[in-house]
Amino acid sequence: MTELANQQAETLLDIRGLSVEYLVGDARLRAVDKVSFTVNKGETVGLAGESGCGKSTLAFALAKLHKPPALIAEGEVLYKGRDVLSFDDEELRRFRWKETSVVFQSAMNCLNPVISVNAQICDVLSAHHPEMNRGELQDRARELLKVVGIHPDRLDQYPHQFSGGMRQRAVLAISLALKPQLIIMDEPTTALDVVVEREIMDQLSELKKQFGFSILLISHDLSLMGEITDRIAVMYAGKLVEIAPSEEVLFNPQHPYTKGLVNSFPHLLGEKKELTGISGNPLNLYSPPAGCYFEERCPERIERCKSTDPALITLNPQHKAKCHLLG
Amino acid sequence: MGRFLGSRLLFYIAAFMVAVTFNFVLPRMMPGDPFEIMFAAAQGKIQPEQMAVLKEQFGFVAGPWHVQYWDYIKGIFSGDLGPSLTYYPTPVTEIISGALPWTVFLAGTSTLICLFIGILLGIFSAYNRGGKFDSIVAPALAFIGAFPQMVSAMLILFGLGVILNWFPVGYGYNPDVDAGWTLEFFMSVAYHAALPLLTMIICGIGGWLFLMRNSMINTLGEDYITMGKAKGLSTRRVMINYAARNAALPVVTAVAMALSFVVAGALIIELIYNYPGLGNEMLGAVASRDYPLLQGLLLIIVVCVLTANFIADLAYFWLDPRLRK
Repeated sequence: MTELANQQAETLLDIRGLSVEYLVGDARLRAVDKVSFTVNKGETVGLAGESGCGKSTLAFALAKLHKPPALIAEGEVLYKGRDVLSFDDEELRRFRWKETSVVFQSAMNCLNPVISVNAQICDVLSAHHPEMNRGELQDRARELLKVVGIHPDRLDQYPHQFSGGMRQRAVLAISLALKPQLIIMDEPTTALDVVVEREIMDQLSELKKQFGFSILLISHDLSLMGEITDRIAVMYAGKLVEIAPSEEVLFNPQHPYTKGLVNSFPHLLGEKKELTGISGNPLNLYSPPAGCYFEERCPERIERCKSTDPALITLNPQHKAKCHLLG
Repeated sequence: MGRFLGSRLLFYIAAFMVAVTFNFVLPRMMPGDPFEIMFAAAQGKIQPEQMAVLKEQFGFVAGPWHVQYWDYIKGIFSGDLGPSLTYYPTPVTEIISGALPWTVFLAGTSTLICLFIGILLGIFSAYNRGGKFDSIVAPALAFIGAFPQMVSAMLILFGLGVILNWFPVGYGYNPDVDAGWTLEFFMSVAYHAALPLLTMIICGIGGWLFLMRNSMINTLGEDYITMGKAKGLSTRRVMINYAARNAALPVVTAVAMALSFVVAGALIIELIYNYPGLGNEMLGAVASRDYPLLQGLLLIIVVCVLTANFIADLAYFWLDPRLRK
């Protein structure tokens, strides 16, 4: 953090009013609704929220990887000042992985089962560096495996010969192949047990120190996020409800939803408290309410919440939350 | 690897022996035999003693079943399937080896062309799903493919062969041309094969197209496809190495089935175009109760089915690393 503060915060990714909609029959469901935030160089930003809140949809849209029936309704994704959404196919192909790589939710399924790990590392290298010859590709692939702690002798094996944790490491190795400036991680450790999760997270912090990339970490696990992120953004029903430095979010949450999320996890240190959680069900996007989306489940709701949707209020330059109670 | 192939090979040998045994038992369980028909046709002009001589001449072995069975098995492995009854005294093996190349040429060529075009169109259709090709051309091909082969064959024969008179309406080559490795003979063979091939390709393409298309669409939903795209690989590479490579696995099974029907399946086409292949021979053998020939043909079909399946196993082995240990 202190290092970061000294280093001039330079914006790497600037998301401006991004909305993603799903076409369902005649209806258009807004899965991501006018979300804006930035990721600075070398920074780790967490994106939290419950299942179905649109965090993965957002992540896919950032590299224009969303598939029909999803479509980007409005907004801009500025990477170093250039709008990724306006790239043509070839620009997009060059941008992908070279600038921003993605670690997917299910490492189990995101490696191609019929070609070797070696081939899957080499194909991304040669797609962006056609000048590399066979020997160079091999050397780089071995080096990458070593970086994530897999013995290079396993290079020519196939994904099914790897354990779950090793596959996730292999995916991590592939994501580092081109030394991208930003890695989007969509629940990278959800499918793994806590011991392996811990190993991989430690390794990630290590690699981040070594290579200095930025991370956009998507997860529902706030306690995991608290350990490695600089800032945390919280989404509910497609809207950004709070964004603040990690400690602020974890120890001084302002939005009632964030408070609910934080109270759903036990703290390792400090007094034992009863875990409360959030009652009710996620919002039905078919018929969004006129007022605040969280009103129905909110323990602190007031009259105004039913009729008007609150704006994102700036509490201090670092901390914003979307709630009438703060206005 | 050796163990997997060894166990498969053992399985195929066992399957072969079972099929061969059925092939032996079935004709013997059927009521009546060719000699009873002959006997009846002669209306008492043949004496029972003459009948016995005839039977011996035709190679029918008397004796207990295990002796017959042993003789039959020995015959198979020494390539002696006895003489045909209709073409007596031509041996069955000679008739089969005369007809087999025609069928293999006709059915093999059409299957390969169908596969190649069908799979490519399937990939294209899946990639552009919902597009013009996918919603008009592909269903049209499936519609044509759903016609009974007999109907399409006759329509094509009548239209292109009889009315327009563009192509010959029967036989494998022009009998006036000497058979041999000459260009003239090849041209004649190709010219005569045009209509049967066209029929089989038109009828077959829709099936392959949809098989590949549906398999591709399933595969395109997989996470490794999205990751392939996210890696910035070219569309062609994602389509071929990531999607088609995985989508091809279920298709391989279908290819094996199709290859095994190559021999038997061309029956209707061969009949309609009077093509000198195995199907035509089989029909003749059934009509005239030529049991030795029928048994020989069934044997060939069994061998083809098993060989095709073995080739499919090898292909799987090569395509899917999860099978290799």
